[in-house]
Order: sequence, then C-alpha cells, then structure tokens
Amino acid sequence: MRRLLPSTIVGLGIAIFALQLLSSGAALYLLRTQMEGIVHADRTRQLNDVRDDLLAAYYDGGYAELHDFIARGRGSVGDPLNFVALRGPGGVLLSNIATIPPGVRFDHPGIVTLPHTGSEVRTGLAVGTRLPGHEELIVGALTETESRFDLAFAEAIGLTLALTVALALLSAVLLGTVISRRTHAIADTAEALGSGNFAARFPREDIGDGFDHLRRQMNLMAERIDMLIKQLHSISGSLAHDLQSPVARLRASIDTALDCDMGEPALEALQRARVDAEALQAMLAAALELGRLESGTVEDRRRMIELGEVVDDLAELYEPLAEQSDIVLNWDVAPVRVFGDRELLSRALANLIDNAIKYGGNRIALRCRIEGPWALVSVADNGPGIAAADRDRAMDRFIRLDNARTRPGAGLGLAMVAAVAQLHGGALELSGGDAVDLGGLVVTLRLPR
Amino acid sequence: MSGRILVVEDDDQLAQYIGKGLTEANFTVDRAANGRDGLFLATDSAFDVIILDRMLPGMDGLSVLKAFRAAGVATPVLMLSALGQTDDRVEGLTAGADDYLGKPFAFTELLARVQALTRRGAGGAVQQTPVLRCADLELDRLARQVRRGKRKIAMQPREFRLLEYLMLHEGEVVTRTMLLEAVWDYHFDPGTNVIDVHISRLRRKIDDDEPQQLLHTVRGAGYRLSVD
Repeated sequence: MRRLLPSTIVGLGIAIFALQLLSSGAALYLLRTQMEGIVHADRTRQLNDVRDDLLAAYYDGGYAELHDFIARGRGSVGDPLNFVALRGPGGVLLSNIATIPPGVRFDHPGIVTLPHTGSEVRTGLAVGTRLPGHEELIVGALTETESRFDLAFAEAIGLTLALTVALALLSAVLLGTVISRRTHAIADTAEALGSGNFAARFPREDIGDGFDHLRRQMNLMAERIDMLIKQLHSISGSLAHDLQSPVARLRASIDTALDCDMGEPALEALQRARVDAEALQAMLAAALELGRLESGTVEDRRRMIELGEVVDDLAELYEPLAEQSDIVLNWDVAPVRVFGDRELLSRALANLIDNAIKYGGNRIALRCRIEGPWALVSVADNGPGIAAADRDRAMDRFIRLDNARTRPGAGLGLAMVAAVAQLHGGALELSGGDAVDLGGLVVTLRLPR
Repeated sequence: MSGRILVVEDDDQLAQYIGKGLTEANFTVDRAANGRDGLFLATDSAFDVIILDRMLPGMDGLSVLKAFRAAGVATPVLMLSALGQTDDRVEGLTAGADDYLGKPFAFTELLARVQALTRRGAGGAVQQTPVLRCADLELDRLARQVRRGKRKIAMQPREFRLLEYLMLHEGEVVTRTMLLEAVWDYHFDPGTNVIDVHISRLRRKIDDDEPQQLLHTVRGAGYRLSVD
C-alpha cells in the first residue's frame, strides 16, 4: 500500500473542516439571531400585555385599584416569571422582586440585571411607565428562556464541531484517496515512459476534468517522444549496418591478406591491423548497444526473476577464472525477486566481476541483499579502488581512468552497467575505501523490488 | 565434411569472404544477392544450410525466412545480422531461424555453426540418445552419471551440461560463444577467457592420467570432443 499523500490529506482535511465549520457556524448564528428576535418580540408583547392589564386597572379605579391589583397578584402579575414595581405616594410596591432594578428605560423595553440570591445574577426585560399621577410603574419579565437558548446553542455548536471534524476527516481521506490513486496512476505511466517504455500511455476517461486534461496532454507528449525515439532508432539501426559492414570487410580483407606469402614486417603490420580492426568492431558494437540501452529502445523482456540465481550463476561462471588468477571469489546471496531482464542484468554483472578481476586485488565479494524497497547487488574488491572525486566520471562513456589505460577495453563498461540499471528504474553506485567491505572499490547495482 | 550452402547476402565482399572460407572447408557455395533470388534458389534446389542476412535490399531477411518456411523449405537457416543483439536474436529465432549470428563474427564461429547445422540436418537421432559415448567416455543423461572406463567421475550440474553438449557435437568444432549460449544461456561475450577455464577443469576430470585425450582445443576456433 502506498502512502496516501498524507500532507495533501492533512491540508484537504483542514480546508474542508474550516469550510464546514464556517457554513454550520453561519447557519447557527443566523438561526440564533432569528430566534432571539422572535423571542424578544414575544417577550415585549408579554410585557405590554401585563402593562396593559395594570393600566386598565389604573384607569378603572386609579392608584388604589392598581395597588390592590398588584398586591393581590391578580392576572398575569401572579406569573412567577413576571415582576412588577410601583412607586407611588404610598411608597414602593414590589411584586416578585426585592428592589427596583437599576437602569430601567421608559421609552422601550430594555435588558436589566436583577440582584438575586447569592452571587447568581439574572437578567430580565423591563420597561417603565410614568402614570398621570406621577407614579412610576415598572413591568418586567425574567429572560430564563433566552439563557436556556444560549445553552442549547452552545451544545449545538459543540455537536456541530464534533460532527464537522469527523466529516472533514472522512471526506479528506476519501478525496485524498481518489486524488492520490489518480495521481499515482499517472505517475506510474510517467515512470514507465521515464524508464524507456515509450509505448506506455495514460488511460483515458472522457470526463473532461483536470486529470483528463493532464492525461491527454501527457499522452500527446509521449506520442511525440515515441516518434522521435523511433526515428533515432531507425537512424542508429542503419548506422549500425552501414558502419559495421565496412569494418567487417576490413577485417575480412586483413584475414585474406594474412593468408598470402609476405615478409615478416608486412605480416607483423597486418597482425597489428587485425587486432585494431577487432577492437574497432568491439567498440562499435558496444557503443551501438549502449545507445540502444540508454535510449530504452531495447525490447522490454523484463519479467519476475530471482536475482539471487542470476548472481549465483555468474559467480559460478567466474569462480574458476578467479581461482586461476589466484583471486578468492566469495558470494553471499539472499533470495530476492525483481522485475528484470536476466540477460541484461547478467551482462551488467559480468562486466562488474570482469572489472574486479582485472583491476581489483586478490579478493572479490559478491553480495545480493534487500534494503527496503531495493534489491542491492554489490561487487566489492580489495584493490586500489577509485578516488571519490573520480567516481562519477568513471561511469561516463569512453572514460578510462589512468590505471586502466594500458589495458584493452572500450571504456564503455560502467556506462553500459549504469544504462542497464537505469532501464530497470535503478541506479549504479560506486563507493568503498572504507573498512566495511574489503577496503577496495564497491560497485552496487540498485534495483527496485 | 561437405555440403551445399546458400549464402543470401547483399554485401559482395562479405559474401566473397564467407564463400571463400566455406569452399576451403569443402562446402559447395551458391550465392544470392537479394531475398527474391534467394527464395528462388532455395525452393529450386536442395541445400544443407542457408546463411541469410537479416538486412537485405528490397525484401528483408525476416520476410525471406517466413517465405522460405511458407514455401515448405525446411533447410536449417543461420541468420546473420549487424544488429546482433539479443532481442533481434529472439525475433529471428521465433521467425524460424535455426541459429543466429551477429556481425561482427569470426569466420571460425560461422564455420562451427554451419557445421553444427549440417550435422543436425543429416542425423538428429543423437539428440534423443539416453547414453552418449565417445571412446571409453560414457555419459548417462537419465542417471546423470559420467564414467571414463571404469572410473566414475563426479560432476557439477553445469559441468555435466557442458560435457553433454560437447558429446552431442562429437567431432565438431564448438566455439566459446556456442557453449555460452547452450550451456549458460548467455548471449553476450563475458570478455576474458572464462570458458577456457571451465574447459580446463573439465579436461582435468575426464582426460587426466588417460592415455587417450578426448577434449581438444582447436586454435583460434574453439574445442572439439573426439577420439583423434
């Protein structure tokens, strides 16, 4: 299972969470404002009703009647949620309240704070009325319900928050999975193209979204690359034919001439020419082969193979040669399956072992092991190694480091091994000089498992 | 050894070179410069081996080969190619070629392969024999045992296959490349003389302390397992 682009998912989660929170918050806020308006209007009407009752009593029977009405708690005055205060000639009459709350407005109902038992503070809505006889009538109601609303809204917000987090997480994971699956599918095809399989195409889904657009454009790009590579391939193919045939004829002519009677100097010159013609042929073949490997225009014959067996077979092939050259060849092979071309990998490894026998010391160690997603094959020797500064250069075409100049070879060996590694989506690494391995050069072929 | 060989090759000088060498080796050689002529000649008269270039003007080698097989020409075909890489080899072999040789090649390599193909066309029964013999050397393919006279010789699996291949081609020159392909299934040149060392080991096992040497080195060509 691949990583689901965690950073993308976290980002998406946060964005979705914020948006959901914003929208639910806005809805809740709107709801609360509306409810508040309705409740406020209701409460005002209630206050007006109570006041109207009291005023009716006042106009009926004057102050005495009003006083009596309040004192007896008649009508809506008896409602425990309402409170009334009357300041008149006979002092202050209070109903359901201990003192006259401060800050009562006389123009319209306003919020007042009511002193209450203990430290608890209650709020209410109250309005004052000046009566014709200079009395003051204050009518109010406790706003219990409103505080309960606030509590309910707080709960609702808490619940919304919890739900939002859960939903945001869920949709982020779902969306992230979909996106990462699509991007991985695109990346897989790009990887195939990158490793030289120019026939690879991105699967089309005619849904016209951004992904589809991307796939369409990348397919066009792949098409173009494919065409260019094919042109290059046909050019290099005919170049191979055109160049190799004259060289083959050159060599054939030298062979024919060698059969003739001639003097010793001529014979020697011809033999030298033959050696050079052979070297030229080998270099030409190697260069063409390398070109094909690097451009990825070799037929893809990769399949699941046991890399350990490939290493075993080669070790077995080279062991007698090593022994004859007084070199101890050891191999330590862990089983590891890779998707690879046995022939090309064998050729690459043969190249490395051959190098180690030619330029290494008297001990060679082959190792095949697993490191995370990689299969590593390394060839270590106890020879002089390659200086760290020269290592990158050693893998270039036609580069032969000074100590190798006096020996035959085209200088294409490591470049060819690197091309094979690249063709498999892997890499070639040179290291060594430390005590970990044999102390000489360590060449490692890193291949994806 | 003698036989008739058809060389289908557009390159005059290379065709001459091959023709001269094969004639010296007692073969009768006919030549066609293009695929069409080659097809006429091949269907017209009987050849022991056809050497066919992969790249020909007009009709390419693969099409010529398919035309041969379609016309009922069963003659063994050795395909030559400048694109002597393994994937072309596979393509050629699936198209019906019996062997494949990439340019550049040494003439000895070509000769050894032509001789092997001639032998295959003539006999072929030896391929099925369960016990192979050469003088007092005996290789039991079923029991996987090797004896020289009364002496039992222990063999590694790869050594066994090496000897088996040499015995199947008794009396013929077998090149290093042929051995690499048949015994190790490698289609590249491992460079240094890896095969020579394997042969030396094998020789030590079967020929040491024997009055008669059976495994011979043919200078500049390869090896031959034979009584003389």
